[in-house]
Amino acid sequence: MTSESVDDYFSISDILTTQERLPCKVELPIYRLGYLDSSSTSDDLQPGTKLDLSFWMARALCSRKRHIVSVEMPRPYREGYREILTADANVVDLHKLGPYYYSYGSQLLKFELPETADVAKSLIKCFQTRIRKIMDSSQNAYNEDTTKLTAKLDETEKCLFKAGQMGLNDFQRWETRQTEKLTTSEMVRSHRKRKRALMDDS
Amino acid sequence: MDPAEVEFLAEKEEISVVPNFTQDKIYLIGGDVGPFNAGLPVKVPLWMAINLKQGQKCRIIPPDWMDTERLQDKKQEETDSKFFTEMPSPHFMEITQLLLKCATDDIPHADEIRTLVKDIWDLRIAKLRSSIDTFLKSDATHAKLNYLTLMELNTARPFLTKALDQMHLLRSNLSGRIQSTQE
Amino acid sequence: MLAEKALELIAELQRTIDSTLGPYNEDTARHVLEEMKALFEQNQKDVSATVAGENGLFSGVQLRHAALERNKRCLLAYIYNRLQHIKRMRWEFGSVLPSDVKLNLGEQEVQWFGKYNKLLANYMRSIGDHGGLDLTQDLKPPKTLFIEVRCLMDHGEFETQDGNIVLLKKNSQHFLLRSECEHLIRQGVLEHIVHG
Repeated sequence: MTSESVDDYFSISDILTTQERLPCKVELPIYRLGYLDSSSTSDDLQPGTKLDLSFWMARALCSRKRHIVSVEMPRPYREGYREILTADANVVDLHKLGPYYYSYGSQLLKFELPETADVAKSLIKCFQTRIRKIMDSSQNAYNEDTTKLTAKLDETEKCLFKAGQMGLNDFQRWETRQTEKLTTSEMVRSHRKRKRALMDDS
Repeated sequence: MDPAEVEFLAEKEEISVVPNFTQDKIYLIGGDVGPFNAGLPVKVPLWMAINLKQGQKCRIIPPDWMDTERLQDKKQEETDSKFFTEMPSPHFMEITQLLLKCATDDIPHADEIRTLVKDIWDLRIAKLRSSIDTFLKSDATHAKLNYLTLMELNTARPFLTKALDQMHLLRSNLSGRIQSTQE
Repeated sequence: MLAEKALELIAELQRTIDSTLGPYNEDTARHVLEEMKALFEQNQKDVSATVAGENGLFSGVQLRHAALERNKRCLLAYIYNRLQHIKRMRWEFGSVLPSDVKLNLGEQEVQWFGKYNKLLANYMRSIGDHGGLDLTQDLKPPKTLFIEVRCLMDHGEFETQDGNIVLLKKNSQHFLLRSECEHLIRQGVLEHIVHG
Protein backbone atom coordinates (compact mmCIF):
# COMPACT_ATOMS: atom_id res chain seq x y z
CA MET A 1 0.00 0.00 0.00
CA THR A 2 1.19 3.47 -0.72
CA SER A 3 1.18 5.68 2.31
CA GLU A 4 -1.52 8.30 2.07
CA SER A 5 -2.15 10.86 4.70
CA VAL A 6 -5.63 10.86 6.19
CA ASP A 7 -6.28 14.30 4.73
CA ASP A 8 -5.76 13.15 1.19
CA TYR A 9 -7.91 10.03 1.38
CA PHE A 10 -11.21 11.90 1.07
CA SER A 11 -9.80 14.69 -1.08
CA ILE A 12 -11.66 15.16 -4.35
CA SER A 13 -8.70 16.77 -6.05
CA ASP A 14 -6.36 14.02 -4.90
CA ILE A 15 -8.68 11.38 -6.33
CA LEU A 16 -8.88 13.26 -9.62
CA THR A 17 -5.11 13.69 -9.63
CA THR A 18 -4.50 9.97 -9.26
CA GLN A 19 -6.94 9.34 -12.12
CA GLU A 20 -4.55 10.96 -14.64
CA ARG A 21 -3.03 8.51 -17.07
CA LEU A 22 0.53 7.65 -17.95
CA PRO A 23 2.21 5.41 -20.55
CA CYS A 24 2.79 1.88 -19.31
CA LYS A 25 4.22 -1.34 -20.75
CA VAL A 26 3.00 -4.71 -19.56
CA GLU A 27 5.87 -6.87 -18.26
CA LEU A 28 4.01 -9.90 -16.86
CA PRO A 29 0.79 -11.36 -18.27
CA ILE A 30 -2.37 -10.11 -16.59
CA TYR A 31 -5.10 -12.68 -17.13
CA ARG A 32 -8.74 -11.91 -17.86
CA LEU A 33 -8.23 -8.14 -17.83
CA GLY A 34 -7.57 -7.77 -21.54
CA TYR A 35 -10.47 -5.34 -21.86
CA LEU A 36 -8.34 -2.64 -20.28
CA ASP A 37 -6.56 -2.37 -23.63
CA SER A 38 -9.20 -1.06 -25.99
CA SER A 39 -7.02 -1.70 -29.06
CA SER A 40 -6.97 -5.45 -28.49
CA THR A 41 -9.60 -8.16 -28.34
CA SER A 42 -7.50 -10.58 -26.35
CA ASP A 43 -8.80 -11.85 -23.01
CA ASP A 44 -5.49 -11.19 -21.36
CA LEU A 45 -2.97 -8.39 -21.25
CA GLN A 46 0.18 -9.83 -22.81
CA PRO A 47 3.76 -8.77 -21.97
CA GLY A 48 4.95 -6.09 -24.35
CA THR A 49 1.53 -4.45 -24.64
CA LYS A 50 1.73 -0.67 -24.40
CA LEU A 51 -1.21 1.24 -22.97
CA ASP A 52 -2.06 4.25 -20.87
CA LEU A 53 -3.19 3.45 -17.36
CA SER A 54 -4.52 5.64 -14.59
CA PHE A 55 -1.94 6.47 -11.95
CA TRP A 56 -3.68 4.44 -9.26
CA MET A 57 -3.62 1.32 -11.43
CA ALA A 58 -0.06 1.81 -12.56
CA ARG A 59 1.00 2.34 -8.97
CA ALA A 60 -0.54 -0.97 -7.92
CA LEU A 61 1.38 -2.76 -10.67
CA CYS A 62 4.68 -0.97 -10.52
CA SER A 63 6.61 -0.42 -7.32
CA ARG A 64 9.86 -1.51 -5.75
CA LYS A 65 8.28 -4.84 -4.93
CA ARG A 66 6.32 -5.37 -8.13
CA HIS A 67 7.14 -5.00 -11.79
CA ILE A 68 3.98 -6.17 -13.46
CA VAL A 69 4.12 -3.09 -15.68
CA SER A 70 6.85 -0.54 -16.32
CA VAL A 71 6.04 3.14 -16.57
CA GLU A 72 7.34 6.21 -18.33
CA MET A 73 7.19 9.87 -17.33
CA PRO A 74 4.23 11.53 -19.07
CA ARG A 75 5.32 14.03 -21.64
CA PRO A 76 4.64 17.30 -19.73
CA TYR A 77 7.24 16.23 -17.16
CA ARG A 78 9.92 15.15 -19.63
CA GLU A 79 13.02 17.09 -20.43
CA GLY A 80 11.61 19.03 -23.36
CA TYR A 81 8.86 20.55 -21.27
CA ARG A 82 11.13 21.05 -18.30
CA GLU A 83 13.37 23.15 -20.53
CA ILE A 84 10.45 25.32 -21.58
CA LEU A 85 9.59 25.84 -17.93
CA THR A 86 13.16 26.78 -17.12
CA ALA A 87 13.20 29.30 -19.96
CA ASP A 88 10.13 31.19 -18.72
CA ALA A 89 7.69 29.42 -16.48
CA ASN A 90 5.48 32.51 -16.34
CA VAL A 91 4.16 32.18 -19.87
CA VAL A 92 3.37 28.46 -19.76
CA ASP A 93 -0.25 27.31 -19.71
CA LEU A 94 0.03 24.91 -16.77
CA HIS A 95 -3.66 24.17 -16.87
CA LYS A 96 -3.16 22.66 -20.29
CA LEU A 97 -0.11 20.66 -19.23
CA GLY A 98 -2.28 18.99 -16.62
CA PRO A 99 -4.86 20.57 -14.43
CA TYR A 100 -3.06 19.06 -11.43
CA TYR A 101 0.47 19.75 -12.62
CA TYR A 102 2.17 19.96 -9.23
CA SER A 103 0.28 17.29 -7.34
CA TYR A 104 0.39 14.82 -10.23
CA GLY A 105 4.09 15.56 -10.70
CA SER A 106 4.64 14.87 -7.01
CA GLN A 107 2.79 11.57 -7.25
CA LEU A 108 4.83 10.49 -10.26
CA LEU A 109 8.03 10.77 -8.25
CA LYS A 110 6.96 7.65 -6.35
CA PHE A 111 7.95 5.52 -9.34
CA GLU A 112 11.58 6.51 -8.80
CA LEU A 113 12.32 6.84 -12.48
CA PRO A 114 15.81 8.07 -13.45
CA GLU A 115 14.62 11.66 -13.98
CA THR A 116 12.83 11.87 -10.62
CA ALA A 117 15.24 14.32 -9.00
CA ASP A 118 15.13 16.62 -12.01
CA VAL A 119 11.34 16.62 -12.06
CA ALA A 120 11.18 17.37 -8.33
CA LYS A 121 13.54 20.31 -8.76
CA SER A 122 11.69 21.55 -11.82
CA LEU A 123 8.40 21.59 -9.88
CA ILE A 124 9.85 23.76 -7.10
CA LYS A 125 11.55 26.12 -9.53
CA CYS A 126 8.39 26.47 -11.59
CA PHE A 127 6.29 27.24 -8.52
CA GLN A 128 8.79 29.76 -7.21
CA THR A 129 8.93 31.56 -10.54
CA ARG A 130 5.18 31.80 -10.99
CA ILE A 131 4.15 32.67 -7.45
CA ARG A 132 4.76 36.43 -7.70
CA LYS A 133 2.50 36.85 -10.68
CA ILE A 134 -0.24 34.83 -9.04
CA MET A 135 0.02 36.83 -5.82
CA ASP A 136 0.01 40.17 -7.60
CA SER A 137 -2.86 39.36 -9.92
CA SER A 138 -4.92 38.04 -7.02
CA GLN A 139 -4.33 41.30 -5.16
CA ASN A 140 -5.12 43.63 -8.00
CA ALA A 141 -8.40 42.13 -9.04
CA TYR A 142 -11.14 43.34 -6.79
CA ASN A 143 -14.68 42.65 -8.01
CA GLU A 144 -13.45 41.74 -11.44
CA ASP A 145 -14.03 38.77 -13.67
CA THR A 146 -11.05 36.59 -12.84
CA THR A 147 -11.51 33.75 -15.31
CA LYS A 148 -8.95 35.27 -17.64
CA LEU A 149 -6.40 35.67 -14.88
CA THR A 150 -6.69 32.07 -13.78
CA ALA A 151 -7.07 30.35 -17.16
CA LYS A 152 -3.42 29.31 -17.33
CA LEU A 153 -3.08 28.26 -13.70
CA ASP A 154 -3.03 24.68 -12.50
CA GLU A 155 -5.49 23.68 -9.75
CA THR A 156 -3.08 24.30 -6.88
CA GLU A 157 -2.32 27.74 -8.23
CA LYS A 158 -6.01 28.49 -8.65
CA CYS A 159 -6.49 27.61 -5.02
CA LEU A 160 -3.72 30.05 -4.10
CA PHE A 161 -5.24 32.73 -6.28
CA LYS A 162 -8.55 32.25 -4.47
CA ALA A 163 -6.83 32.53 -1.10
CA GLY A 164 -5.20 35.78 -2.19
CA GLN A 165 -8.55 37.09 -3.34
CA MET A 166 -10.12 36.14 -0.06
CA GLY A 167 -7.54 38.13 1.91
CA LEU A 168 -8.11 41.13 -0.31
CA ASN A 169 -11.91 40.91 -0.44
CA ASP A 170 -12.27 40.53 3.31
CA PHE A 171 -10.11 43.57 3.83
CA GLN A 172 -11.88 45.68 1.23
CA ARG A 173 -15.24 44.75 2.67
CA TRP A 174 -14.01 45.86 6.06
CA GLU A 175 -12.56 49.09 4.69
CA THR A 176 -15.86 50.02 3.07
CA ARG A 177 -17.70 49.06 6.27
CA GLN A 178 -19.65 46.24 4.64
CA THR A 179 -18.63 43.81 7.38
CA GLU A 180 -20.89 45.61 9.82
CA LYS A 181 -23.94 44.58 7.90
CA LEU A 182 -25.46 41.21 8.73
CA THR A 183 -26.22 39.37 5.53
CA THR A 184 -28.12 36.42 4.18
CA SER A 185 -26.03 33.27 4.35
CA GLU A 186 -24.32 32.18 1.12
CA MET A 187 -26.16 28.88 0.82
CA VAL A 188 -29.55 30.50 1.33
CA ARG A 189 -28.73 33.09 -1.30
CA SER A 190 -27.64 30.60 -3.96
CA HIS A 191 -30.58 28.35 -3.13
CA ARG A 192 -33.00 31.26 -3.73
CA LYS A 193 -31.27 32.17 -6.96
CA ARG A 194 -31.54 28.65 -8.27
CA LYS A 195 -35.18 28.42 -7.30
CA ARG A 196 -35.96 31.68 -9.03
CA ALA A 197 -34.14 30.53 -12.16
CA LEU A 198 -36.17 27.34 -12.14
CA MET A 199 -39.39 29.30 -11.84
CA ASP A 200 -38.40 31.61 -14.69
CA ASP A 201 -37.67 28.62 -16.89
CA SER A 202 -41.01 26.95 -16.40
CA MET B 1 -9.69 35.66 10.99
CA ASP B 2 -12.31 38.08 9.84
CA PRO B 3 -11.23 41.75 9.78
CA ALA B 4 -14.28 42.42 11.98
CA GLU B 5 -12.59 40.33 14.67
CA VAL B 6 -9.34 42.24 14.28
CA GLU B 7 -11.35 45.42 14.68
CA PHE B 8 -12.95 43.97 17.81
CA LEU B 9 -9.48 43.55 19.32
CA ALA B 10 -8.57 47.10 18.32
CA GLU B 11 -11.63 48.40 20.13
CA LYS B 12 -9.99 47.46 23.41
CA GLU B 13 -7.27 50.09 22.89
CA GLU B 14 -7.60 53.08 25.17
CA ILE B 15 -8.35 56.55 23.96
CA SER B 16 -8.99 59.89 25.68
CA VAL B 17 -12.37 61.55 25.57
CA VAL B 18 -13.84 64.65 27.14
CA PRO B 19 -17.26 63.69 28.49
CA ASN B 20 -20.07 66.23 28.84
CA PHE B 21 -21.61 64.40 31.80
CA THR B 22 -20.58 63.34 35.26
CA GLN B 23 -20.77 59.79 36.52
CA ASP B 24 -19.07 57.53 39.06
CA LYS B 25 -16.65 54.84 38.10
CA ILE B 26 -18.28 51.91 36.32
CA TYR B 27 -17.13 48.35 36.79
CA LEU B 28 -16.97 46.17 33.67
CA ILE B 29 -15.62 42.68 32.96
CA GLY B 30 -12.84 44.25 30.95
CA GLY B 31 -11.84 46.61 33.77
CA ASP B 32 -13.02 49.71 35.55
CA VAL B 33 -13.75 52.87 33.61
CA GLY B 34 -14.18 56.40 34.87
CA PRO B 35 -15.08 58.29 36.96
CA PHE B 36 -16.41 60.76 34.42
CA ASN B 37 -16.28 64.47 35.13
CA ALA B 38 -17.88 66.77 32.61
CA GLY B 39 -15.15 68.69 30.76
CA LEU B 40 -12.24 66.61 32.10
CA PRO B 41 -10.40 64.19 29.82
CA VAL B 42 -10.65 60.51 30.76
CA LYS B 43 -9.28 57.34 29.20
CA VAL B 44 -11.83 54.81 27.98
CA PRO B 45 -11.74 51.81 25.62
CA LEU B 46 -12.25 52.75 22.00
CA TRP B 47 -15.58 50.92 21.74
CA MET B 48 -16.96 53.00 24.58
CA ALA B 49 -15.57 56.21 23.13
CA ILE B 50 -17.39 55.50 19.88
CA ASN B 51 -20.60 54.68 21.70
CA LEU B 52 -20.46 57.87 23.75
CA LYS B 53 -19.61 59.90 20.69
CA GLN B 54 -22.55 58.47 18.78
CA GLY B 55 -24.79 59.45 21.67
CA GLN B 56 -23.22 62.92 21.67
CA LYS B 57 -21.96 62.37 25.19
CA CYS B 58 -18.33 63.23 24.57
CA ARG B 59 -15.66 64.81 22.40
CA ILE B 60 -12.85 62.54 21.27
CA ILE B 61 -9.22 63.59 21.68
CA PRO B 62 -7.39 62.06 18.75
CA PRO B 63 -4.27 60.02 19.63
CA ASP B 64 -0.96 61.95 19.40
CA TRP B 65 0.05 60.23 16.22
CA MET B 66 -3.13 61.13 14.39
CA ASP B 67 -1.56 64.33 13.18
CA THR B 68 -0.61 65.30 9.63
CA GLU B 69 2.98 66.24 10.48
CA ARG B 70 3.66 63.09 12.47
CA LEU B 71 2.13 60.96 9.75
CA GLN B 72 4.09 62.74 7.01
CA ASP B 73 7.28 61.86 8.87
CA LYS B 74 6.12 58.32 9.38
CA LYS B 75 5.35 57.95 5.69
CA GLN B 76 8.81 59.26 4.80
CA GLU B 77 10.44 56.88 7.24
CA GLU B 78 8.48 53.96 5.82
CA THR B 79 9.45 54.95 2.26
CA ASP B 80 13.14 55.25 3.13
CA SER B 81 13.39 52.05 5.07
CA LYS B 82 13.90 48.69 3.48
CA PHE B 83 12.26 47.07 6.48
CA PHE B 84 8.96 47.63 8.21
CA THR B 85 9.12 50.51 10.65
CA GLU B 86 7.35 50.53 13.97
CA MET B 87 3.84 51.95 13.79
CA PRO B 88 2.64 54.39 16.44
CA SER B 89 -0.13 51.95 17.30
CA PRO B 90 -0.42 48.24 16.56
CA HIS B 91 -3.95 49.02 15.42
CA PHE B 92 -3.29 52.25 13.51
CA MET B 93 -5.45 51.19 10.58
CA GLU B 94 -8.51 50.15 12.58
CA ILE B 95 -8.36 53.16 14.92
CA THR B 96 -8.11 55.54 11.98
CA GLN B 97 -10.99 53.87 10.22
CA LEU B 98 -13.25 53.91 13.28
CA LEU B 99 -12.50 57.45 14.39
CA LEU B 100 -12.77 58.91 10.93
CA LYS B 101 -16.14 57.31 10.60
CA CYS B 102 -17.76 58.67 13.74
CA ALA B 103 -15.68 61.63 14.89
CA THR B 104 -14.45 63.59 11.88
CA ASP B 105 -15.46 66.82 13.64
CA ASP B 106 -13.02 66.07 16.46
CA ILE B 107 -10.08 65.35 14.19
CA PRO B 108 -8.29 68.22 12.46
CA HIS B 109 -7.44 67.61 8.78
CA ALA B 110 -9.40 64.37 8.76
CA ASP B 111 -9.22 63.92 4.98
CA GLU B 112 -5.48 64.43 4.88
CA ILE B 113 -5.06 61.93 7.68
CA ARG B 114 -7.18 59.39 5.87
CA THR B 115 -4.98 59.72 2.78
CA LEU B 116 -1.72 59.56 4.71
CA VAL B 117 -2.70 56.46 6.65
CA LYS B 118 -3.84 54.79 3.46
CA ASP B 119 -0.53 55.70 1.79
CA ILE B 120 1.42 54.19 4.65
CA TRP B 121 -0.75 51.08 4.49
CA ASP B 122 -0.18 50.73 0.73
CA LEU B 123 3.57 51.16 1.15
CA ARG B 124 3.65 48.47 3.77
CA ILE B 125 1.47 46.04 1.85
CA ALA B 126 3.71 46.40 -1.21
CA LYS B 127 6.69 45.71 1.03
CA LEU B 128 4.93 42.73 2.50
CA ARG B 129 4.27 41.28 -0.94
CA SER B 130 7.89 41.69 -1.99
CA SER B 131 9.13 40.03 1.16
CA ILE B 132 6.71 37.15 0.73
CA ASP B 133 8.03 36.69 -2.80
CA THR B 134 11.67 36.86 -1.72
CA PHE B 135 10.99 34.43 1.07
CA LEU B 136 9.27 31.90 -1.18
CA LYS B 137 12.01 32.13 -3.77
CA SER B 138 14.78 31.68 -1.23
CA ASP B 139 15.55 28.34 0.30
CA ALA B 140 14.98 29.72 3.77
CA THR B 141 12.63 27.83 6.04
CA HIS B 142 11.86 30.74 8.32
CA ALA B 143 11.91 34.51 8.18
CA LYS B 144 11.66 37.23 10.76
CA LEU B 145 9.54 40.28 10.15
CA ASN B 146 9.26 42.94 12.81
CA TYR B 147 6.55 45.51 13.36
CA LEU B 148 3.86 44.00 11.17
CA THR B 149 0.43 44.77 12.53
CA LEU B 150 -2.33 42.22 13.02
CA MET B 151 -4.49 43.63 10.24
CA GLU B 152 -1.60 43.44 7.78
CA LEU B 153 -0.81 39.87 8.74
CA ASN B 154 -4.46 39.01 8.49
CA THR B 155 -4.67 40.26 4.90
CA ALA B 156 -1.70 38.18 3.81
CA ARG B 157 -2.48 35.09 5.86
CA PRO B 158 -4.74 33.06 3.53
CA PHE B 159 -2.32 33.32 0.63
CA LEU B 160 0.90 33.03 2.60
CA THR B 161 0.00 29.95 4.60
CA LYS B 162 -1.26 28.11 1.51
CA ALA B 163 1.82 29.07 -0.49
CA LEU B 164 4.12 27.89 2.30
CA ASP B 165 2.23 24.61 2.56
CA GLN B 166 2.72 24.05 -1.12
CA MET B 167 6.42 24.91 -0.91
CA HIS B 168 6.76 22.44 1.93
CA LEU B 169 5.11 19.70 -0.13
CA LEU B 170 7.30 20.34 -3.13
CA ARG B 171 10.41 20.47 -0.95
CA SER B 172 9.59 17.25 0.84
CA ASN B 173 9.38 15.62 -2.60
CA LEU B 174 13.04 16.33 -2.92
CA SER B 175 14.09 15.26 0.55
CA GLY B 176 11.84 12.21 0.38
CA ARG B 177 13.76 11.08 -2.64
CA ILE B 178 17.13 11.73 -1.10
CA GLN B 179 16.13 9.57 1.82
CA SER B 180 14.95 6.76 -0.37
CA THR B 181 18.18 6.63 -2.35
CA GLN B 182 20.02 6.31 0.91
CA GLU B 183 17.98 3.35 2.06
CA MET C 1 -12.63 0.54 -17.37
CA LEU C 2 -12.24 -0.32 -13.71
CA ALA C 3 -13.74 1.92 -11.04
CA GLU C 4 -15.24 4.17 -13.68
CA LYS C 5 -18.67 4.45 -12.09
CA ALA C 6 -17.05 5.41 -8.82
CA LEU C 7 -15.26 8.22 -10.54
CA GLU C 8 -18.60 9.54 -11.79
CA LEU C 9 -19.53 10.11 -8.16
CA ILE C 10 -16.35 12.11 -7.61
CA ALA C 11 -16.92 14.14 -10.78
CA GLU C 12 -20.41 14.88 -9.50
CA LEU C 13 -18.99 16.14 -6.20
CA GLN C 14 -16.50 18.30 -8.06
CA ARG C 15 -19.28 19.89 -10.13
CA THR C 16 -21.40 20.78 -7.12
CA ILE C 17 -18.56 21.77 -4.83
CA ASP C 18 -19.54 25.43 -4.59
CA SER C 19 -23.24 25.15 -5.17
CA THR C 20 -26.22 23.32 -3.79
CA LEU C 21 -26.00 19.67 -2.94
CA GLY C 22 -27.29 17.44 -5.74
CA PRO C 23 -29.54 14.42 -5.16
CA TYR C 24 -27.88 11.45 -3.47
CA ASN C 25 -26.89 9.20 -6.33
CA GLU C 26 -28.14 5.88 -5.07
CA ASP C 27 -28.09 4.26 -8.50
CA THR C 28 -24.45 4.84 -9.21
CA ALA C 29 -23.48 3.94 -5.67
CA ARG C 30 -25.25 0.60 -6.14
CA HIS C 31 -23.45 0.03 -9.44
CA VAL C 32 -20.16 0.59 -7.69
CA LEU C 33 -21.03 -1.92 -4.99
CA GLU C 34 -22.00 -4.45 -7.66
CA GLU C 35 -18.68 -3.94 -9.42
CA MET C 36 -16.90 -4.42 -6.12
CA LYS C 37 -18.76 -7.63 -5.51
CA ALA C 38 -17.80 -8.98 -8.93
CA LEU C 39 -14.16 -8.00 -8.42
CA PHE C 40 -14.09 -9.64 -5.04
CA GLU C 41 -15.61 -12.87 -6.33
CA GLN C 42 -13.22 -13.07 -9.27
CA ASN C 43 -10.31 -12.55 -6.91
CA GLN C 44 -11.53 -15.27 -4.59
CA LYS C 45 -11.77 -17.62 -7.55
CA ASP C 46 -8.24 -16.78 -8.67
CA VAL C 47 -6.88 -17.19 -5.18
CA SER C 48 -8.48 -20.64 -4.84
CA ALA C 49 -7.07 -21.58 -8.23
CA THR C 50 -3.63 -20.41 -7.14
CA VAL C 51 -3.86 -22.46 -3.97
CA ALA C 52 -4.82 -25.42 -6.16
CA GLY C 53 -1.59 -24.94 -8.12
CA GLU C 54 -2.38 -22.63 -11.03
CA ASN C 55 0.33 -20.04 -11.80
CA GLY C 56 0.50 -16.44 -12.94
CA LEU C 57 -2.83 -15.19 -11.60
CA PHE C 58 -1.22 -12.83 -9.14
CA SER C 59 -1.04 -9.82 -11.49
CA GLY C 60 -4.78 -9.86 -12.08
CA VAL C 61 -5.52 -10.30 -8.39
CA GLN C 62 -3.30 -7.36 -7.62
CA LEU C 63 -5.00 -5.11 -10.14
CA ARG C 64 -8.50 -6.09 -9.05
CA HIS C 65 -7.54 -5.52 -5.47
CA ALA C 66 -6.36 -2.03 -6.36
CA ALA C 67 -9.69 -1.45 -8.12
CA LEU C 68 -11.55 -2.58 -5.01
CA GLU C 69 -9.57 -0.13 -2.89
CA ARG C 70 -10.16 2.59 -5.44
CA ASN C 71 -13.91 1.99 -5.50
CA LYS C 72 -14.01 2.02 -1.74
CA ARG C 73 -12.08 5.27 -1.59
CA CYS C 74 -14.39 6.97 -4.10
CA LEU C 75 -17.53 5.80 -2.32
CA LEU C 76 -16.25 6.91 1.08
CA ALA C 77 -15.08 10.24 -0.31
CA TYR C 78 -18.51 10.73 -1.89
CA ILE C 79 -20.28 10.12 1.39
CA TYR C 80 -17.77 12.05 3.47
CA ASN C 81 -17.77 15.18 1.32
CA ARG C 82 -21.55 15.20 1.20
CA LEU C 83 -21.69 14.97 4.97
CA GLN C 84 -19.35 17.93 5.25
CA HIS C 85 -21.70 19.86 3.00
CA ILE C 86 -24.74 18.79 5.04
CA LYS C 87 -23.01 19.86 8.23
CA ARG C 88 -22.40 23.31 6.72
CA MET C 89 -26.07 23.49 5.78
CA ARG C 90 -27.01 23.25 9.48
CA TRP C 91 -25.06 26.47 10.06
CA GLU C 92 -26.32 28.27 6.99
CA PHE C 93 -29.97 27.25 6.68
CA GLY C 94 -30.60 26.58 10.35
CA SER C 95 -32.15 23.54 12.00
CA VAL C 96 -34.89 23.15 9.36
CA LEU C 97 -33.85 22.59 5.77
CA PRO C 98 -35.93 23.90 2.85
CA SER C 99 -38.03 21.02 1.56
CA ASP C 100 -36.44 20.88 -1.90
CA VAL C 101 -32.97 20.76 -0.34
CA LYS C 102 -34.03 18.00 2.02
CA LEU C 103 -35.40 16.04 -0.92
CA ASN C 104 -31.86 15.69 -2.25
CA LEU C 105 -30.61 13.90 0.84
CA GLY C 106 -30.49 10.14 1.07
CA GLU C 107 -32.38 8.44 3.87
CA GLN C 108 -29.29 7.98 6.01
CA GLU C 109 -28.21 11.52 5.31
CA VAL C 110 -31.52 12.82 6.65
CA GLN C 111 -30.96 10.74 9.77
CA TRP C 112 -27.43 12.06 10.10
CA PHE C 113 -28.61 15.64 9.79
CA GLY C 114 -31.18 15.02 12.52
CA LYS C 115 -28.57 13.53 14.83
CA TYR C 116 -26.10 16.32 14.18
CA ASN C 117 -28.84 18.82 14.86
CA LYS C 118 -29.62 17.19 18.17
CA LEU C 119 -25.99 16.95 19.23
CA LEU C 120 -25.39 20.59 18.42
CA ALA C 121 -28.55 21.67 20.25
CA ASN C 122 -27.66 19.61 23.33
CA TYR C 123 -24.17 21.01 23.36
CA MET C 124 -25.35 24.59 23.01
CA ARG C 125 -27.82 24.05 25.85
CA SER C 126 -25.10 22.66 28.09
CA ILE C 127 -22.71 25.63 27.81
CA GLY C 128 -23.17 29.18 29.05
CA ASP C 129 -24.66 29.97 32.42
CA HIS C 130 -28.39 29.73 32.04
CA GLY C 131 -30.34 28.64 29.03
CA GLY C 132 -27.17 27.79 27.10
CA LEU C 133 -25.37 29.66 24.38
CA ASP C 134 -26.41 29.87 20.74
CA LEU C 135 -23.19 29.32 18.82
CA THR C 136 -24.80 29.97 15.47
CA GLN C 137 -25.34 33.57 16.48
CA ASP C 138 -22.99 36.56 16.58
CA LEU C 139 -20.67 35.02 14.04
CA LYS C 140 -19.05 38.44 13.94
CA PRO C 141 -18.53 40.68 16.98
CA PRO C 142 -21.85 42.50 17.52
CA LYS C 143 -21.77 46.28 17.64
CA THR C 144 -25.18 47.18 18.99
CA LEU C 145 -28.01 45.51 20.87
CA PHE C 146 -30.74 46.70 18.53
CA ILE C 147 -30.67 46.89 14.76
CA GLU C 148 -32.89 48.23 12.04
CA VAL C 149 -34.28 45.72 9.57
CA ARG C 150 -36.47 45.65 6.49
CA CYS C 151 -38.67 42.69 5.57
CA LEU C 152 -37.80 41.10 2.26
CA MET C 153 -40.89 38.91 2.26
CA ASP C 154 -44.13 38.35 4.16
CA HIS C 155 -43.25 36.27 7.17
CA GLY C 156 -46.33 36.64 9.38
CA GLU C 157 -46.38 37.52 13.04
CA PHE C 158 -43.29 37.51 15.18
CA GLU C 159 -43.35 37.58 18.94
CA THR C 160 -40.48 39.43 20.57
CA GLN C 161 -38.95 38.45 23.91
CA ASP C 162 -40.84 41.19 25.73
CA GLY C 163 -44.13 39.87 24.43
CA ASN C 164 -44.84 42.34 21.64
CA ILE C 165 -46.21 41.07 18.37
CA VAL C 166 -44.60 42.45 15.26
CA LEU C 167 -46.11 41.83 11.85
CA LEU C 168 -43.32 41.05 9.41
CA LYS C 169 -44.84 42.26 6.17
CA LYS C 170 -42.87 42.75 2.98
CA ASN C 171 -41.06 46.12 2.88
CA SER C 172 -42.02 47.02 6.45
CA GLN C 173 -39.21 48.28 8.68
CA HIS C 174 -38.57 47.37 12.32
CA PHE C 175 -36.20 48.06 15.15
CA LEU C 176 -35.45 44.70 16.79
CA LEU C 177 -33.10 43.06 19.25
CA ARG C 178 -30.16 41.85 17.23
CA SER C 179 -30.13 38.49 18.97
CA GLU C 180 -33.78 37.94 18.06
CA CYS C 181 -33.57 38.64 14.39
CA GLU C 182 -30.08 37.59 13.31
CA HIS C 183 -31.36 34.18 12.21
CA LEU C 184 -34.08 35.77 10.11
CA ILE C 185 -31.44 37.89 8.40
CA ARG C 186 -29.26 34.84 7.71
CA GLN C 187 -32.28 33.10 6.24
CA GLY C 188 -33.03 36.01 3.97
CA VAL C 189 -36.33 37.04 5.56
CA LEU C 190 -35.01 40.36 6.81
CA GLU C 191 -32.41 42.76 5.53
CA HIS C 192 -30.12 44.58 7.93
CA ILE C 193 -30.15 48.33 7.34
CA VAL C 194 -26.89 50.09 8.13
CA HIS C 195 -26.71 53.84 8.09
CA GLY C 196 -23.50 55.06 6.53
